[in-house]
Amino acid sequence: MNLVVIGLNHRTAPVEVRERVAVPRGRWGAVSAELRKAGLYEAVVVSTCNRVEVYGVAGEVAAARRFFSVPPQHLYEWRDQDCVRHLCEVVCGLDSMVLGETEVLGQVKQAYEAAQTAGATGPVLNRLFQKAFAAAKHVRSRTAIARGSTSVGNVAVDLAEKIFRNLAARTVMVVGTGEISEATARALRSRGAGTILVCSRAQGRAVEFAAQIGGRAISYEDWPAQFPIVDIVITATGAPHPVITTEKLRPLLRHRPARPLFLIDIAVPRNVEPSCGELEDVFLYDLDDLQQIAQDNRAARERELDACRELIDGHLVRYLRWFAAHRPSLEQRYQP
Amino acid sequence: MTERGYLWLAELLFGMSCLLTWQRWRSGQPDGRLRPINYITMLAGFALQTTFLYLRGKAIGRCPLTTPFEMTIFIAWAAVLFYLLIGPSYRLSFLGAFTAPIVLAIGAVALLGLSDMPRATPLKYSPWVDFHAAIGILACGAFALAGVIGAMYLRQEDQLKSRRPHRTLALLPAVEQLDIINHRLVLLGFVMLTFGMLGGVVSQHVVGQWMAAKTAWAVTAWVAYGGVVGARWAGRMHARRMARYSIALFGLLLLSFWLVYLLPVSSRPAP
Repeated sequence: MNLVVIGLNHRTAPVEVRERVAVPRGRWGAVSAELRKAGLYEAVVVSTCNRVEVYGVAGEVAAARRFFSVPPQHLYEWRDQDCVRHLCEVVCGLDSMVLGETEVLGQVKQAYEAAQTAGATGPVLNRLFQKAFAAAKHVRSRTAIARGSTSVGNVAVDLAEKIFRNLAARTVMVVGTGEISEATARALRSRGAGTILVCSRAQGRAVEFAAQIGGRAISYEDWPAQFPIVDIVITATGAPHPVITTEKLRPLLRHRPARPLFLIDIAVPRNVEPSCGELEDVFLYDLDDLQQIAQDNRAARERELDACRELIDGHLVRYLRWFAAHRPSLEQRYQP
Repeated sequence: MTERGYLWLAELLFGMSCLLTWQRWRSGQPDGRLRPINYITMLAGFALQTTFLYLRGKAIGRCPLTTPFEMTIFIAWAAVLFYLLIGPSYRLSFLGAFTAPIVLAIGAVALLGLSDMPRATPLKYSPWVDFHAAIGILACGAFALAGVIGAMYLRQEDQLKSRRPHRTLALLPAVEQLDIINHRLVLLGFVMLTFGMLGGVVSQHVVGQWMAAKTAWAVTAWVAYGGVVGARWAGRMHARRMARYSIALFGLLLLSFWLVYLLPVSSRPAP
C-alpha cells in the first residue's frame, strides 16, 4: 500500500499543459470519487491555477497516472514520506509561484472537503490532510513566511492599512490609468475601500475602468478640486513633470486638517514632487519604494524557508509514526 | 507582606511585561498570543497597586494622596487603569509594550527616590480635597497614556515617512487610529483636570488652606493642555505635533509635579 501524489505544477508544465488536465471546481469531488472507483483506495484531486495533483492511497498507482494524459516529463510522483512533505509544503505556500501565498491553503481545503463529501477519502488521507492543515497554521503563526505583500498593489494596500484606521469609508482617486494603477485600485477595492474616483486624459478609458471596479469617472480637469474629500491618490499620468507639487498641495491640505493623505505615485517620470512627502499628515510612496518593499518582503520570506521546513518536519514525523503503526491494519482493510 | 512589598511585586510584574513584549518586538512577531498574557500581567500589577492604595488609605483614613510617594504611585496606577480600559476597547497591538516601561519607571522613581513622609502641617480633611486630588491624578493617568500613544504614533509615522519601513510597521496600529485615541485621551484628561481644579477651588475654601506652588502648577498644566485641545479643535494641530506635545507635556508635567511636591511645603490661609 502506497501513499502517493502524482501531479504537475507551474515548474514542471507550461500553462497549455496544465489547462488540459485542470479539473473545474464543481467536479473536484466527482473526479476524486471516480479515481477511487478506478482503483485507488482513497483519493483527493487538487486543481488550482498552478497545479493539478492527485493524492491517493493505492496498491498500484497506475490509475492515478492514467488520469494525467500528458507526457511523463511534466509529471512528478512522490511516495510516503515525500508525499506527506510535499502536501505540507503546498498548503504552507512553499511550493507556490508566490512564496508563502495563503490562497492555496483555502483551495486545498475545498478540494479535500469536496473529496470527503463524495466519499473518496478514508483514514489515511483524512489524517494526512488534517495534519497538513495543522502544519500550515503552525508555520504561518510561528514564521514570517506569509508576512508582507510581494506585489506592488498589495504593498500599497498594506501601507494604506497602516495609515488609515479602516479602508471602508475612504475615497480613492486614480489619476491616469495604467496596468499598475488599476491593479492597485483593484487591490484597495478588494480590501474594502469605499469610493473610487477615476480620471484620465482618455475619458473613455476612465469611464470603462470606473465601471469595472464600481467607481465613478470624473473629468481630468476636476481632480484637484476633489482633494478635500480624497484619502488616497494614485497617480499614473504620462505628464513629463510633477502634477502635484508642494506649492499646490499645501493650500489644499488646509481643507482637511489632521486627516492623513496617502499619495501613491506609480508614474515614471514621477507625478508627485518628492518634497510633498515632508508635509505633515502626507505619506508619499513612489514606484521604486513599493517595488523595493515588495522585493524586501520576498527576500524575507525566502529567509524563513528553513524555519518552515523545520516545523513541517515535526508534523511529518508524527504523521509517519501514526502511518507506520496503522499500516498493517490499513493494508488488511484495503486488501482486495 | 509590607505595603511596599506589594509595590515591589507590581514592579516585578511590569518588568516581566517589558521583557516579554520587548522580546516579541525584536522578533517582529505579532503580539496575538502574547496580548492576553501581557494584559493579565499588567492586571495583576494593577491589583497589587490597588492593594497598596487600599491599605494605605485605610491606615491614614483618607484617599492616599498625602505624600509625593503616594501621589506618584497613584499616577502610575491611573496610567495602568487607562491602559486596561483602552487596550481591549481598541485592540491596540503592543500598547502594553509601550505602557509597561513608563509605569515601571514611574514606580521605580517613587519607590527609590521619593519621600513618603507626611507633611509637617497636614492638610485638613475634606471630601472635596480628596475629590480634587484624585480626579487631578486620574487626569495625569490619561495624559500618561496619551504620551505612550504619542510615542507609538511617532514610531509608526517615522517608519511610514522613511519609505523603507522596518518589519515592526506591521506590529503597530494605523497612525490615524493612534492619533484619534491620543486626541481623545488628551481631551478626557483636560476635562478631568478642569473638574479637579474646580474641586480644588471649592476645597481651598472649605479647608481654608491655599498652596501657591500647587495652584500655579495646576493652572500651568491646564493652560498647556487647553492650548493643545484648542489648537486641535481649530484645525491647527496636526497629528505629529499632537503626538510630540503629548509626550513633552506629560514629561514636563511629571517633572514639575515632583519639583513642586518635593519643595518644602508651605501653606497659608486661603485669600
